[in-house]
Amino acid sequence: MSTTTIERIQRRFEGGTVPMLTKRVRQLLSIVLFLGLWSALVRFGVLGFDTFVGPETTLAALLEALSGTAMTEGGETIYEHAAFSAFRVLVAVTIAVLVAIPLGLTIGTSRRWEDALFPALEVFRPVPPVAWVPIALLLLPTFRSGVIFVVFVGAFFPILINTIEGVKTVEAEYVQAAASLGAGSRDIFRHVIVPATLPSIVTGVSLGVGLAWITVVAAEMIAGGVGIGYIIFQAYRLLQTEVIAVGMIAIGFLGYVSAAAVHRTGHYLTRWQETN
Amino acid sequence: MSKHDDPTDDASTAEPAPDTTGKTGAIALDNLNKTYDPEGEHVVAVEDMDLDVAAEEFVALLGPSGCGKSTVLECIAGYLEPTEGEVVVDGTPVTDPDPKRGVVFQENRLFPWKTIKENVEFGPRMHEGVEEGRAESILDEMGLDGFEDAYPSELSGGMQQRAELARLLANDPAIMLMDEPFSALDALTKEIMQKKLLEVWERDNRTVLFITHDVEEAILLADRVAIMTARPGQIKDVIDVDIDRPRDPEVVTTDRFTELRERALSVIREEAERALEQEDGA
Ligand SMILES: Nc1ncnc2c1ncn2[C@@H]1O[C@H](COP(=O)(O)OP(=O)(O)O)[C@@H](O)[C@H]1O
Ligand SMILES: [Mg+2]
Repeated sequence: MSTTTIERIQRRFEGGTVPMLTKRVRQLLSIVLFLGLWSALVRFGVLGFDTFVGPETTLAALLEALSGTAMTEGGETIYEHAAFSAFRVLVAVTIAVLVAIPLGLTIGTSRRWEDALFPALEVFRPVPPVAWVPIALLLLPTFRSGVIFVVFVGAFFPILINTIEGVKTVEAEYVQAAASLGAGSRDIFRHVIVPATLPSIVTGVSLGVGLAWITVVAAEMIAGGVGIGYIIFQAYRLLQTEVIAVGMIAIGFLGYVSAAAVHRTGHYLTRWQETN
Repeated sequence: MSKHDDPTDDASTAEPAPDTTGKTGAIALDNLNKTYDPEGEHVVAVEDMDLDVAAEEFVALLGPSGCGKSTVLECIAGYLEPTEGEVVVDGTPVTDPDPKRGVVFQENRLFPWKTIKENVEFGPRMHEGVEEGRAESILDEMGLDGFEDAYPSELSGGMQQRAELARLLANDPAIMLMDEPFSALDALTKEIMQKKLLEVWERDNRTVLFITHDVEEAILLADRVAIMTARPGQIKDVIDVDIDRPRDPEVVTTDRFTELRERALSVIREEAERALEQEDGA
């Protein structure tokens, strides 16, 4: 292919056919395209999609759910299910943050603690969080704390690993500078190690929150009793495909909102960074 | 002025200083050796180096890049442990960093997560406590008023270097160890910084060890210029700079300055030739 052809194609994409579209319009277009594709897949029965609902029916079901209609035989509304899932994520992530950050800082700064704790943690790290469900059910018989434990496991490792990594990559120059200004090891920890590690911690928490949502849905499908994961799975058993779609939208929305909240908080806490 | 020489400050400084004038900040390098051994290699960076810097003296350490200047400075700062020999400051061998020995590098090491004011107040906060308004007046002197609440990343390179100098001065060290602090600056900013440094030093009389590879800068600033050999570093020659103070950048046009520069350059040339021959022989 000659360069002129490539240039012509590039121009078509970049400036030719959609030259005047603003960012907002293009973003809207992406959603419209997605809905169109979904609708077409269902209408023409591509793969098994003819058994699934289209966007129009889903929208109706979504509006009905949002109006406060009970979603499952328990009588809970979508708000209550969403609140349950969000509560589990919030509690689990909070505990994970409170445990993993101090632990990561300790392991990262102390060779001795690293040797004592890290190998054991490394053994558990590759175990997918959902594999903890049976143990959680046996040890914590109330389903609520069981799910929270599993979500905690999901959020814990990314925060821990990123915190450790962050401590280990703190530049020695800053530690030296602090020492030359009269800082002792406590001051160096507080004024250098912790703030220098913060960007890594923020990354860890972002990943942890993402994993927490994945884990909460999976755990609720197995053992939830209530929550968005639970209604998605109930709906599957009852073949209420529009409810499955509504549940997925709800999870997507909650995940998006929480990721944005973490991103904003993290951005604020590390506002001194050049890349901001 | 307190220069961390207050006997109540730190028990370890209670030893008598050998300097009979009562001044502090004397540095003695005693047969200093430093080798690096990164995987399999054996790099002798500094070999059998002796140098005495008197309290309140301004000494420039001049040498080609890679000759071991930074290594010497980091040994004095207490960041590196000598392989052999020792660094003695006011009669006490150096083992660790100390606020008495302040350090400035070419690349600023301001804490990026602290504002300029927090950076400047960091040192005082670590020991005697922060004196209200002091950071502001030092920043003002460095031409940084209005940038107290800025983060280092928001400042230009020249301003960062001034902030670094402000942080050092706020900590009131007896010794200032400066490793090519102005080499990354443009000519104009560099001249302003040199002037500032001279002003501050002539007023406070701290000991300064100033590393540079710029002959004119060395002569302009220092009482004595110590010229290093190519690696492994040793002192090749020491030139006394007998130019009156206060000096300002105009002295570079005087005859005496030109003479001293020629002398320094001839030592450097001789050394460069020797280094080349050595390479050919090897
Ligand atoms: N950490 C290190 N590991 C190995 N070699 C090093 C290290 N630091 C410096 N060197 C080597 O030691 C020599 C002196 O370096 P340095 O003191 O930085 O010189 P200068 O400051 O005069 O440019 C150089 O050859 C350099 O490559
Ligand atoms: Mg150097």
